[in-house]
Amino acid sequence: MKMNRKLTWMLLVGVGMSFTQCKDSGSDVKPDDENELITSVTLKFTEQGTTNVSSFSYKDADGDGGNAATKFDTITLKPATTYTLTIELLDESKTPVDDITKEVEEESDEHLFVYTPSPASLMTYTYGDKDVNNFVIGLTGKAVTGAAGDGKLKVQLRHQPGAKNGKPEPGSDDVNLDFTLKVK
Amino acid sequence: MSRLLLSFLILLVSIVSHAQKTDCGCFVKGIVKDQHSGQPIVGATVLILGQNSGVFTDENGRYELRNLCPGSYTLECRIVGYNSFRQKLDLTAGHEENFNLLEQEVHLKDVEITAHRTDAPSSQPLTTLSGSDLEKTRGQNLGESLKGLAGVTTLQTGSSISKPVIHGLHSNRILIMNNGVRQEGQQWGSEHAPEIDPFIATRLSVVKGAAGVRYGSDAIGGVILVEPEELPFDKSLSGEANAVGFTNGRQGVLSGTVQGGIKGFKGFGWRTQGTIKRGGNIKTPGYYLDNTGISEKNFSLAAGYRHKGLGVDVFYSRFDTKIGIFSGSHIGSITDLLNVIKNGEPFVKSGFNYAIGRPNQNVTHELLKAETHYHFQNGNRFQWTIARQINDRNEYDLHRPRNDSIAALNHPELTFKLTTLTNDVIWDHKPIAGKIAGQLGVSTLYQYNLMNGRPLIPNFNQFNIGLFWMERYVKNGWELEAGVRYDYRTLKTYRIVNREKVADHFTFHNFSGTLGATRNFSERFSARLNVGTAWRAPNVSELFSDGVHHGAAAYEKGDATLQPEKALNTIGSVKYTDAKWSLEIGGYYNYISDFIYLKPQPEPILTVRGAFPYFKYTQTDASFKGVDVSASWEFIRHTTVSSKLSYLRVYDQRADNYLVMIPPNRLDNQLKYELPDVGKWQKVFISAGNLFVAQQKRVPPASDFLPPPKAYSLWSLQAGATIRVTEKQQLEIGVSVQNLFNTVYRDYLNRFRYYANDMGRNGSLRLKWKFGA
Repeated sequence: MKMNRKLTWMLLVGVGMSFTQCKDSGSDVKPDDENELITSVTLKFTEQGTTNVSSFSYKDADGDGGNAATKFDTITLKPATTYTLTIELLDESKTPVDDITKEVEEESDEHLFVYTPSPASLMTYTYGDKDVNNFVIGLTGKAVTGAAGDGKLKVQLRHQPGAKNGKPEPGSDDVNLDFTLKVK
Repeated sequence: MSRLLLSFLILLVSIVSHAQKTDCGCFVKGIVKDQHSGQPIVGATVLILGQNSGVFTDENGRYELRNLCPGSYTLECRIVGYNSFRQKLDLTAGHEENFNLLEQEVHLKDVEITAHRTDAPSSQPLTTLSGSDLEKTRGQNLGESLKGLAGVTTLQTGSSISKPVIHGLHSNRILIMNNGVRQEGQQWGSEHAPEIDPFIATRLSVVKGAAGVRYGSDAIGGVILVEPEELPFDKSLSGEANAVGFTNGRQGVLSGTVQGGIKGFKGFGWRTQGTIKRGGNIKTPGYYLDNTGISEKNFSLAAGYRHKGLGVDVFYSRFDTKIGIFSGSHIGSITDLLNVIKNGEPFVKSGFNYAIGRPNQNVTHELLKAETHYHFQNGNRFQWTIARQINDRNEYDLHRPRNDSIAALNHPELTFKLTTLTNDVIWDHKPIAGKIAGQLGVSTLYQYNLMNGRPLIPNFNQFNIGLFWMERYVKNGWELEAGVRYDYRTLKTYRIVNREKVADHFTFHNFSGTLGATRNFSERFSARLNVGTAWRAPNVSELFSDGVHHGAAAYEKGDATLQPEKALNTIGSVKYTDAKWSLEIGGYYNYISDFIYLKPQPEPILTVRGAFPYFKYTQTDASFKGVDVSASWEFIRHTTVSSKLSYLRVYDQRADNYLVMIPPNRLDNQLKYELPDVGKWQKVFISAGNLFVAQQKRVPPASDFLPPPKAYSLWSLQAGATIRVTEKQQLEIGVSVQNLFNTVYRDYLNRFRYYANDMGRNGSLRLKWKFGA
């Protein structure tokens, strides 16, 4: 029986030891402020020769997952009209709101916006800016609408660190949205 | 198939009936005594080598082995604290053989201690890789090393990260015991390889099938045992140096071990071991894979002390690796993925380079273990193991923050720090009536995970306690065993939802059991059958995942209401060995109720990066049916042909469909020619091999972006020799070429199969210099 008592004692110490270094992982939970999100994409069409600005947005304030997108506008433009198209990217999950457009501009040699209307006859896009390597960016440009019709406008932000060559292929999508486009 | 099965059965029955016809009335009996004191030794094991049959000595030190067939046998008598003793016998009738054992302190030559306590039910198949088979795998990672065993495959992320898959199950369903401690890393992630340096081990064993009773929850698919050699107590200095070079990736590995005892300090042994590895970009048959280099630095220290029945061991290991992830696989959206698939080869190409850029992962794993055991005079044994593990994982994404000041800090986008404390107390009771041996044990685990960065899994605290009891009965070629276990687990998670801290609390508990029988019909022929249960609680990623999975271009969502998986595993095998033939056929049926898997959802999920296919963790009932066959035949002197076949069918019972990500069937053939030893040249061999992997045709419809790749066939060549330089020094040389014909292929279980081909031709040269004892 002496041995059994010794054994029991050792067992207790053994089990006890496992609690000695207990640390609560709950106290270390903190929101991550460095993490970058794009929660809102706004396209601003300024009709040439006027100050009429039409804005169309996609907004998903809590980022991927969680709640669904709160806003996904239909782009409505006039036929056979020339617009200046600018784009604005925001991270609204942070306070204050983080302007991602500015950061894209600073690193314009790694970024490329691609605007793809379908059918192609709906709109023609011409880049209005260039980076240090003389490759287009797409923060600002010219959009000329065609005849009336319905379709889509795909808006992509290609992130191409170290690989930007003026073509859309290298890199990966940071933004890839299919806006509904109505020309009427 | 059924005809094949039938012929197997006929073969089986004929072997069984043949075995029963022989007259097997021989027996061996005797007394085991201490050579000095002359006292009988209680609880010593008397084994017939190569047969798995044995008995324990009773309170008078007596043993008896009955119903033996005439023939020659080698008996081994062993008990911890004494040198084991072997005796060859030619049996024609009854025989008496007494053993006089020497205490280990007295006699120091050839100490053989049964320190490799695998403890797995003996009725479960245990496949071991050691000696020259293990040497051939040197320089590869743990998953790759085990790939040659029937029934074991790998789940890969490119060519540098691989996880072992046993009978179609992996990650948290496979338990890895690293030097007696359950490996607790970030196993849940398919791109998280086991953080273990295979150079630590002199034996790698795989227990196929559920072994939940002995090893606790998670061992639903099987257990991998990574076991070092016993420490060199009171031996002189010895060691080895390994150098391995691979042509693909121009990878080099250096590893060294030095070990010995201490003069004037009896009963002491120590070992130190270290490995460095450096490799660059891997080449497929057509192009290099950008950023696939690897850099690894590992070391371990061990020391132990033995005195009479007492043993104390301490072990520390540190594993440190930096792995580049093929940059073409870090994509942002489904269109990127579809573009790559359409292109057929990666957009990102590069030449050869050792540099590891983004994306990469940086992992360190530390293990500190202390073990003590004591043998009581009456045959009881007590063992206590306490261990602490710290797993620190940093993942760097391809995508740096756009804000230059934040990017300059070069922080990882994701870190996990997992700390684990485990305690195992085992009591082996003294054999009852010389025939029943058993053990009782309690295991605890305390774990906390701290994470930082892009949200993936929550922080958590986990506590687990398990109690188990196993008994084994050995008589007349029969070995029966039974065991039960109870586990209780609590899990507390903490995560941020809409900038608020949310805590969740889960408790899980479960009983599991095992029942097995082994029958040794003769020295050559044995059969075993085991029925076991095991369970696994859902892990935090299955409960709380919520985001786009990098590389897979899929949105994965957890479910906090998931219930534990419960497995019922039946596994049976027969084994026949003689001088020229060796054949092992095993079949298994593993039914897992509430099997957790990712179920594709009908509607894609819309994010700023586009619409993603949406997968949710769901439960179903799954059945895993399979056959493993290993055979070898020395058809001409020195020339052996060997084959391994793994066949597996997995079915989702509820959905009445197949499951995804199940390894395809495979057949591995080898032809080996061994040259007779000439002078200093020993164990000289050349061999050629072919691995055929079939196409996985059993997949659910529309389950994937790309259908499973076509079948492939790879050829390889190996040669090796051992040169005895002096009495105490030897040099081992091995050369091999894998994927001899630079075949273009993709493997279904390689997650990079969407982006690029698998590795092309890879030649290697291994040198090993051994010195000392």
